[in-house]
Amino acid sequence: MDCIVTLDIGTTKVKASAFDMSANLIGWRQGTYPTFHPQPDYSEQDSEQIFLTVLYALKSLLNDELGKKYHPSALVFGASMHSVLPIDKQGVPLRNAVIWADNRGRNEANALKQAPEGKLIYEATGTPLHPMSPLAKICWFHNHTPPTWFEKVYKFISIKEYVIYQLTGQLVIDHSIASSTGLFNIHTLTWEKLALDFAGIKPQQLSELVPIDFGELKLKKEYVRLFRLTSATKVIVGASDGCLATLGAGVVTEGDATITIGSSGAMRVAGNQVIQDSQQRFFNYLLTKGKYISGGPTNNGGVVFEWFVQQFGTSGIHLDMDYTIKQLLMEAERVPAGAGGLLFLPYLLGERAPLWNANARGAYIGANITHERRHFIRATVEGIVYEIYSIGKLLQQYRSIQNLYINGAYATLPLFAQVLSDVFGKTVYINDKHDSASAGAALLGLTHLGIFKDLEDAARTIRSVETYQPNLTHHERYGRFAEIFERLSYKLSEDFDALVALQTP
Amino acid sequence: MSPFVQQLTSLAEFTHIKELIRLKNPIVKLLEWPVRIQSGIKVLCVLEGKFEWIIENKLHFLYPNDVVVLCPGQSLGSPSGTLEIGSLAWITLQPESFELHKELALGKWSAINDNDQKLLGRLLVSHSPVVLNNLKQPYELLQRIENEIKQTEFAYQVRVNQLIDELIVTIVRQLSQQQNQRRDFPQAFAQLEQMLRDSLDHPWTVEEMAAVVGLGSTAFTEKVKAFSGFSPLNYLINIRIAEAMKQLRQSQKSLTDIALDTGFYSSQHFSTTFKKLTGYTPGQFRKRGQE
Repeated sequence: MDCIVTLDIGTTKVKASAFDMSANLIGWRQGTYPTFHPQPDYSEQDSEQIFLTVLYALKSLLNDELGKKYHPSALVFGASMHSVLPIDKQGVPLRNAVIWADNRGRNEANALKQAPEGKLIYEATGTPLHPMSPLAKICWFHNHTPPTWFEKVYKFISIKEYVIYQLTGQLVIDHSIASSTGLFNIHTLTWEKLALDFAGIKPQQLSELVPIDFGELKLKKEYVRLFRLTSATKVIVGASDGCLATLGAGVVTEGDATITIGSSGAMRVAGNQVIQDSQQRFFNYLLTKGKYISGGPTNNGGVVFEWFVQQFGTSGIHLDMDYTIKQLLMEAERVPAGAGGLLFLPYLLGERAPLWNANARGAYIGANITHERRHFIRATVEGIVYEIYSIGKLLQQYRSIQNLYINGAYATLPLFAQVLSDVFGKTVYINDKHDSASAGAALLGLTHLGIFKDLEDAARTIRSVETYQPNLTHHERYGRFAEIFERLSYKLSEDFDALVALQTP
Repeated sequence: MSPFVQQLTSLAEFTHIKELIRLKNPIVKLLEWPVRIQSGIKVLCVLEGKFEWIIENKLHFLYPNDVVVLCPGQSLGSPSGTLEIGSLAWITLQPESFELHKELALGKWSAINDNDQKLLGRLLVSHSPVVLNNLKQPYELLQRIENEIKQTEFAYQVRVNQLIDELIVTIVRQLSQQQNQRRDFPQAFAQLEQMLRDSLDHPWTVEEMAAVVGLGSTAFTEKVKAFSGFSPLNYLINIRIAEAMKQLRQSQKSLTDIALDTGFYSSQHFSTTFKKLTGYTPGQFRKRGQE
């Protein structure tokens, strides 16, 4: 039987999945790898280890899980955005890959924000001027490495390009990943000269640009053998995980939005136009030509709830996080909406959208003598959701949103899902395909093979299996909290700065 | 040694015990307790009082029943040099070898097997500084060691060494558990991963890796598979081959040296594993980088 194989190269793991020709999941295998923090602001990964984990996940999926029954018609790639890996002329990495969470380019991003070309670059590239952007990272390399080293860099590529290069020997970058580099003009689909000049690099130092359904990649014969494939299997470059997850949630046209809460979070909409926000609070990434995925990312998703569980969740069961999470959420269910007036600002990791304030910090406000641990648990959940809502509220100034599709390990937990529905006052849907990034890659592959007419047609195959209806009394009450939440987030900014100064040794 | 320190007893017969001391300090003493570099492995128990010390460049607040374990070369003392009111007891062991980047060997007196001794050394370094809260057994063991040495009953030498081993085992088990009580598995695993990378050439066993995380081997293997997708040994091999890939392309080292460096006992074993995982032999892979 024919099938489609997708590979999602994420922040903590790589996942190889197989789908049948109607986009139903057949099976998957995954492998994890670590992130290194040699300094507080640094987040790096070992590209060789990632590549080996890719080989392992693909090999065990293709050789063990699928066996002889299935024949992959295509292999499609998806990956995290914003990574930078400098390689030399032989294609050898000159250091570890610097990933999205890395903040070393803080000063470079600020300088760019202040520079006259900053606004033009944001409008042309769609990527917020932030240390996550490869543009800021390459500037950092320029400013902090000896010229002899910088000249040795043959190309700056991403982790995804490296994996594809290892497998095929071809150095290409798809339009979608390119649109997250801060170096790519999302309107003309070419490298943006203003941005490249600012970074101090030439277009030759970046990979060749290709559309996301580019299928002219050829696996090296060693890998064809290792994976037991034939040369008939198409290798398709694919897109970024954020854009694929939106497609895989069935959202490709205006009117709908996706909310993801995993370890971090994001709210995204799709459309044929970019969102031009004068305060530069949104990203505009490219799914495919003329199809933009816009929205805002938050640092403080499930990772904040995990922090709470580690610090305040006392579980008798050794190392079992999932069990403790369930117990705490059950406690929180016994508290009425609004956590008895206890409000939480979740900015433990600083914040991106909509504040874009790296110095923002967390706070519980409104505590009184009757509050118990369960109020704090509920306030933590609600705070994470208010933050997503503050992104959503701004997005709705530009787009009308009818339906919300939620995904990610945290958003789909019943309490989170209900609070999301209540706070937004909208019906919330959970789809049959839990891993929307892989599903999106499969839809892209199937469209390329002609099974679907276009991406809109493909997106229609996604079905919702669970819905949450908003409680309008809760919605009205949450609205008042959301107002206070938003006011405090901006009002406390001076005090955040002062506290951060005290937190830095 | 200051006059307030009472050397518990004569240790002439135990060359591996450098000191066994009980210190009772009735008044605040200035300049008595500066930050000092320690020699030997020191197990220090707080009995009374509250102490504010710098241990390995970080401020710690210590209360009765807290236990500090220091490795040779690590530092401890009060930031102002003041010794506060209270009492302490400690034992300092002189290991046969435990220099920087060298594996720990306690000496022939210990019945703990060589591999577990090496693991002990690695655990102490990776969890440094070791501060265990609210643990009574170490001081009880110190008291029993003292009594044995004082009373010189039948075969007391054997008993003393057994008690020291007991002290070490108690500390290691408590260490893995305390470290993990509040942590989720991914964090415990990240710490293990760092240890694996720091001594890639060590012939790690699943039992050793499990001990680092504070789990039995069966539970450990299950957790690693669920979390990482790999069995513990496959995960280790993955790290080894990733390091080998780097060395093959970035250094001129011989294949045999790279194999040994990354924990493969022969270049044959290295080549087959490398080919199985990457589709290339190490030689082909190196050449490919030079094209």
